[in-house]
Amino acid sequence: MTPQRARTLALGVLLAGFAVLPLLLGDYWIYTLTIGFYYAILAASWALLVGYVGRISFAQAAMAGLGGYASALGVQHLGLPPVLGLGLAVLVSGALGLAIGWLTLRLHGAYLGLTTIAFAEILRITATAEYGLTEGSRGLQVAPLLTGGSRTEYYYLLLGVTAGCLVLMGLLLRSRLGLFFQSIREDEDGAASLGVNVTLWKMVAFAISSAFAGLAGGLYGHFVQLITPSMMSLQEMGIVLAMAVIGGFHNVLFAALGGVALQVLLEALRELGEWRLVAFGLVTLLVLRLMPNGIFGAAVATIAARMRRNGGDE
Amino acid sequence: MSLLAIFEQALNGMIVSSFYALAALGLAIIFGVLRVVNFAHGEFYMLGGYAYFMALSALGLPPVLGLVVAAAALAIFGALVEWLLIRPVYDGRADRPEEYSIMITFALSILLLNLANSLFGPWPRRPEPLFRGRIEIGELIVSGDRLAAAGVAVILITALLLGLRYTWTGRAVRAVSQNREAAEIFGISVTRVGMLAFAVGAALAGLAGALMGPVFNVVPPMGVIPVIKAYVIVVLGGLGSIPGAIIGAIILGQVESFATILIPDPSRALAYKDAYGLVLLIAILLLRPQGLFGTQDRRA
Repeated sequence: MTPQRARTLALGVLLAGFAVLPLLLGDYWIYTLTIGFYYAILAASWALLVGYVGRISFAQAAMAGLGGYASALGVQHLGLPPVLGLGLAVLVSGALGLAIGWLTLRLHGAYLGLTTIAFAEILRITATAEYGLTEGSRGLQVAPLLTGGSRTEYYYLLLGVTAGCLVLMGLLLRSRLGLFFQSIREDEDGAASLGVNVTLWKMVAFAISSAFAGLAGGLYGHFVQLITPSMMSLQEMGIVLAMAVIGGFHNVLFAALGGVALQVLLEALRELGEWRLVAFGLVTLLVLRLMPNGIFGAAVATIAARMRRNGGDE
Repeated sequence: MSLLAIFEQALNGMIVSSFYALAALGLAIIFGVLRVVNFAHGEFYMLGGYAYFMALSALGLPPVLGLVVAAAALAIFGALVEWLLIRPVYDGRADRPEEYSIMITFALSILLLNLANSLFGPWPRRPEPLFRGRIEIGELIVSGDRLAAAGVAVILITALLLGLRYTWTGRAVRAVSQNREAAEIFGISVTRVGMLAFAVGAALAGLAGALMGPVFNVVPPMGVIPVIKAYVIVVLGGLGSIPGAIIGAIILGQVESFATILIPDPSRALAYKDAYGLVLLIAILLLRPQGLFGTQDRRA
C-alpha cells in the first residue's frame, strides 16, 4: 500500500467513524462531541497560524468569542437569519484579524505573544464592561441555529462544517499559499528576498485564522444558545493551546483531532474534578518537551516508519 | 481636585508601583539573561502568596519568616523549572527555541493555575499582614499593611540593585545579559547564571505575591492581572532593562491611579481600569518596540 492510499483510507475510516458514532451513543455524548467539533475548528485554526506560519497568537479564543457575539448580536439587533449571522461572525473576526495582523507586522515571538494577549484581554474586558449590549458576565442568550433541531441534527451539521473547514485549510495549505506560509515560518528575510510578499501573507494568515475562529465561535453560540465573556479568557486559550499541542500543531488535522479527543476526555474524567485539568497541563508540558509533533504526529510517524520497513522486506 | 486628593492618589500610585516593580524586575532579569518571556510569572506570584499563607497558618511562623519561606520555596521551584523545562531553549534541543519557550511557559502557567485550584481550592485566603493599623502622614491616612509591604518591596529592590552592581554574581548576571558569548569566553558558566537568574526571578515574583497576599487575598487566579501589568511595565521600560522596569512600574502606578478618578461613571471606570495598561502596551509595541530604555538593535 502506498502512503497516499493509506492516508486516503485512514481519512475515509475516520470520517465514516464520526458519521456512525451518533447511532451508538446517547444524547449526552453526542452533545459532548458536538462541543468537541467547536474546539476542533478552533485548535485547527490556531495550528494554521502557529504551526504553519510560525506567528504566535494568544487571541484565538477571544476571536471565537468575538465571532460568537457578532453572530448573536447580528441576529438579535439586525434581524439576520442565523446563517447570515455566521457570515457576519466570519467577516468581523476576519477583519479584526487582518487589522491585528497589520498592526503586529513588525513583531515576533514573545512580543507578538504579549501583544495578542493584550488584544484578547481588551476584547474580554470590553465584552464584560459593555453589559448594556452583551449582558456582561451574566451571558447573552443566543437564537438557535436550527429551530427545534435535535442533538443529532446539530452533530451532523457541526461535523460537516468541521470537515469542510479542514478540507478548506488543507487545500489552502497545499496551494502556493501554504508554501508562502511555510517559507515565512522558516526564514522570513530569505522568503522576502526570493520575492514572497511577506507583509501581505502574514496579514492574510492572521485574517484567515481569525475568520475560522470566528466561525467556530458563532456556531458554538447558536448551538449552546448562551455565550459569556469567559469563553474569551486566557484560561480558555490555554485549553485550546493544550488541545493543539497534544494533537500536534504542525498539522491542522492532528490539532483538530486533539480538540475532539481532549473535549471527550475532559467529560469522561469529570469525576476527577479539577485534577483532570492538572493532568492535561502536565501532558501538554510533556508533549511539548518530548514529542514536538504531538501524539497523533508521533503515532503517524511510527506507523509510516513501520510500513516503510515492511515494504523494504518484500 | 484638591491638593490633598492629588497627594493621596500619588502616594497610592507609588505604593502600587513598588509591588509592580518587584514582579516586573523578576521578568526583566529572566528575559535579560535567558531571552525568555516567562508567561508563568503570574502563577509564580500566586505560589508565593500560598507559600506565605502556608508558612503562617500551617507552620505558625511570624510574617517576616513567612516572606523568607516564600522566597526560598519559589527560588528552588524556579531553579527546577529552569532545569527541567527552560534549558532546551538554549542548548539546541528545541527545534524552534523561541516558540518552544513561549508555549512551554504558557502551558506551565495553565498547569500551575489548575494545580492551585485543586490543591488549595478556589476560596480566597487572607494571611496575617506584616503590620496592622493605620499611619497618618499629616492629613494623609494610609493603611499600615500596604505601607509596610511597600517599604519591604523598596528595601528588596534596593538590595537587588546593589547585589547586581557590586557582587561578583551580580556582575556575572549583567555580563551574560549583555553578551552571552563574551561572558562564556571569560569563564562564566552561562548555564549556572541562567539557572540563578530564573531562581531569582521566581523568588522576586513569589515575594511580590507574599507581600500582596494579605492586602488583596490569596486565590488561585490572583496572578493573572498583576502579571499582565508586569508585562506592560517591562515592555514600557524595554524588555530586559532593570532601570526600565523600575521606571515603567512608577509610570504605570501613576497612570492607573489617576486615570481611574478621571472617568466619571464609576462602575465602568472600574471595569476598564485594567485595560489602560493593555492599551499602553500595544501603543508602545507599535511605536517604540524597544521600550524607553531598551536597545534598538534587537528585533522585536
